[in-house]
Amino acid sequence: MRSCTRRSFLKQTGGIASAAAVAPLLPMGWFQLAMADQKGYFESTFGITDDLCRRVLARALAKGGDYADLYFEHTIRNWVMLEDGKVNQAYGEVALGVGIRAVKGDQIGYGFTQELTEPSMLAAASTAATIADAGANQPAGQFTPAKFKNHYPLETLLTTVPIESKLPLVQGVNDKCFELSPLVVKVNASFHDEQKRVMTVTSDGVKTEDLLPKNYLVAVVVAGKDGKYERAWWNVGGRKDFSFYTPAVVEDLAKATVDRAVVLFDAVQPPAGEMPVVLGPGVTGILLHEAIGHGMEADFNRKGISTYATMIGKQVAEPFVTIIDDGTNEGLTGSLNIDDEGIAGQRTVLVEDGILRSYMHDRISAKHYKVEPTGNGRRQSYEHYVVPRMRNTYMLAGPATPEDVIKNAGNGIYVQDVANGQVKIGEGDFAFYVSQGRLIEDGKLTAPIKDVNIMGNGPKMLRNIAIAANDLEMSQGGAGFCGKDGQAVPVGFGLPTCLVKSMTVGGIKT
Amino acid sequence: MNREMYDLAGWAIKTAKAAGADDCRVSISSDRFVEIGYRQRKPETIKEARQKGLSISIYANGRYSSQNTSDLRREALKDFLSRAVATTKLLAEDPYRTLPDPKYYEGRPDIDLGIRDAGYETLTAEGRHAMVKTIEDACLTKGGAKAISVTASQHDSYAESVVLTSNGFEGYRESTVFWAGAEMTVQGEGDRRPNGYHFVASVRKDGIGSPEKVGTIAAERTLDLLGARKIDTETLPVIIENRNVSRILRGLLSAMYGRSIQQKQSFLADKKSEKIASGRLTLIDNPLIVGGLGSRLYDGDGFAAKKRVMIEAGVLKDFFVDWYYSRKLEWEPTTGGPSNLVIPPGKRSVKEIMKDLGRGVFVTGFIGGNSNSTTGDSSVGIIGRLFEDGEPTQAVAEMNIAGNHLEFWPKLAEVANDPWPYSSMRTPSLVFTDVVVSGV
Repeated sequence: MRSCTRRSFLKQTGGIASAAAVAPLLPMGWFQLAMADQKGYFESTFGITDDLCRRVLARALAKGGDYADLYFEHTIRNWVMLEDGKVNQAYGEVALGVGIRAVKGDQIGYGFTQELTEPSMLAAASTAATIADAGANQPAGQFTPAKFKNHYPLETLLTTVPIESKLPLVQGVNDKCFELSPLVVKVNASFHDEQKRVMTVTSDGVKTEDLLPKNYLVAVVVAGKDGKYERAWWNVGGRKDFSFYTPAVVEDLAKATVDRAVVLFDAVQPPAGEMPVVLGPGVTGILLHEAIGHGMEADFNRKGISTYATMIGKQVAEPFVTIIDDGTNEGLTGSLNIDDEGIAGQRTVLVEDGILRSYMHDRISAKHYKVEPTGNGRRQSYEHYVVPRMRNTYMLAGPATPEDVIKNAGNGIYVQDVANGQVKIGEGDFAFYVSQGRLIEDGKLTAPIKDVNIMGNGPKMLRNIAIAANDLEMSQGGAGFCGKDGQAVPVGFGLPTCLVKSMTVGGIKT
Repeated sequence: MNREMYDLAGWAIKTAKAAGADDCRVSISSDRFVEIGYRQRKPETIKEARQKGLSISIYANGRYSSQNTSDLRREALKDFLSRAVATTKLLAEDPYRTLPDPKYYEGRPDIDLGIRDAGYETLTAEGRHAMVKTIEDACLTKGGAKAISVTASQHDSYAESVVLTSNGFEGYRESTVFWAGAEMTVQGEGDRRPNGYHFVASVRKDGIGSPEKVGTIAAERTLDLLGARKIDTETLPVIIENRNVSRILRGLLSAMYGRSIQQKQSFLADKKSEKIASGRLTLIDNPLIVGGLGSRLYDGDGFAAKKRVMIEAGVLKDFFVDWYYSRKLEWEPTTGGPSNLVIPPGKRSVKEIMKDLGRGVFVTGFIGGNSNSTTGDSSVGIIGRLFEDGEPTQAVAEMNIAGNHLEFWPKLAEVANDPWPYSSMRTPSLVFTDVVVSGV
């Protein structure tokens, strides 16, 4: 096999130090190149041939596994950071390896190696094979490249963007933030980019390659007033081409962050206890992610540990509620051309007109339920095996106006930004942390609120969605991720303004 | 000592300097691990691998960057290092970025921290499987007919690292970690399927104790969640269970870092030597505990490890200030972050304290929530049990506690006698009075 291919790749594309590289235009996008009659990236760069894959898969199936796959990954991450007015920190990471999975029923054997040599891969495959204990099975004789649509077209490979092009973005965020308000005392800004190349080869003959870009620009602003400090952050990005980051994007990010910091000096504590909650559009979709999304991941259901385990086909919400998990939104953080076990990215209807329709499946759960996989098999990296995960999760718009929704709440709170959330799958109890919002008094938005945790129960909350507005907004942040089983994957969120009749607000006033 | 790792780190420093670095810190790490999970009395997952990596911090022309790679072949590394140095030189100057003054490397304790189990090499696949089967069996037995699903698992790892700097620091560390636990789901009322767990962790195999006990406790904790409901919003005493104290403590710690202070993101920035908590709170950072999960002889800067009292009888005594932020703040550095955090235990058990309090909430888990290091505001969901007349009576869920750390910690009324041994945060259960518990 070829030697030293990783090094030659680094020479070609720069990796951590791409400053001197010239950005080649890819008018067709890398994706189309991969589909053309050419060797794939991992074969041409690392010498990973079909014959080699077949030998490794055969080893993974040597003890009777009924399915095996190989997941090759080469990821290059870079980020530059500004602190105290200067872009004075840079970080980089190169991750290369292959994860080898053998499956027997719902049992998983897994090994990985960072050395793409045949002996190392065979050793990892032998580890994976131990999940089974019968006679050998054989992989398919031929691998067929899968065809799929490209949901994140690129003009330029991120690894060829010179660092000199990134520095002004970060500096621009800093300068703009200070321009916008005399209250700003500190700004941290950073630009993160990741180029992840993956190849999945399965024992049933599927072979896919993809290139997943991910990038985002972040601002953190600390404002000071009368000896008090407040902090806010915001970010913008996704699976974008570098050309997305225009001066207008920089300016919008700075304004959004400064506005969020300055308003906090007027924030009040909301009352504690149950009350109506209006969720503003966009990132508040974290509510769906926690309240229903995780519970609809099929591994939890096939094991019987999700509160939604017996609810398929049942009415779980008002008829105007339709909830989608989608890998096909162009350029969004959770979008996927193909999932991490070679299944095409797709749009999955979880709740349709209030009725629970489908779980999110990987190959194992799809086999269990005798349905087609939904393209939700994901993993953090080659070091992890696939489990069902969300992509971009959102609710379709309703008929009302945002003003009507707020008016109908009467007295309660309005959620603008959500920082994080968590769910207990079996009980359906969830929480999400409101970093910014407003009080609603007599159907009108009044004083700002901040740092409030909200608790609810997923099935109960779904039934309590009383009105949805016509303003569905997908979060345009690029930093969103979801943790499960010790793995973090990028995900997206979306929601129209909607009213939940009652949730527990964690204030401090009785 | 691993001569090969030392040689590679030394070579990386020489190569980076030849490429134009003025100084650098190189860390080479390597580990191997085995994970086994059982469900329905058969292996659900088996995972095993070895990993390695090189990290380098580069100081060049008054500029700084940090890079990682897992490709340790010399030729590939040479290329990687020269590009890393070139990248560094394109950044803005930062006069505060230097390697530490070597005087802080001095005085490293010459003791065996006992963080490597010499028996690691003797572990067998059969032994690992047998332990996990025992955990699963105990959990299923205790769960009885209520059990829907049990997943028992174990993880063990052996890690080595070498750190060298161009100004004379050398460090080598070998450690082992053993983890075992079980997660259980039981049938509750209607569609509720309470899910609970228990785990133990130690640097030594014998530190995880009886596998039967691990499984049994996981089942008991899950069964305790049955029948949970929310109660009225009211002001009550709250006991936070030992294993969960770390969650609220992190909110306090987030404001104790040099970076938080220098970047105006610390509500404790001007509180040194002031009382920030009840006199019952003392917090010690002790890196030298034999067998501690957070034990170390040197920190990330290479500073010799020392025991430090961070909070004494409620008074804030010290911050976690690394070399870089000490220079920016013009303060004396301490250490960049905690090692083993210890709250000295009190005298009474949780049971005894409950009897005295009569009515309150015993918090056995948190859900969601966050804490703002700039303002000290915090809000977090709670799971636990209501106790009345000194006895647990009712599981509670969908509830929340909130407040500002500067108002919350002064309400600490008692420290229990039960430090949690399976974490680098050795925290006993803590009792707070007059806490608003949000529910209905």
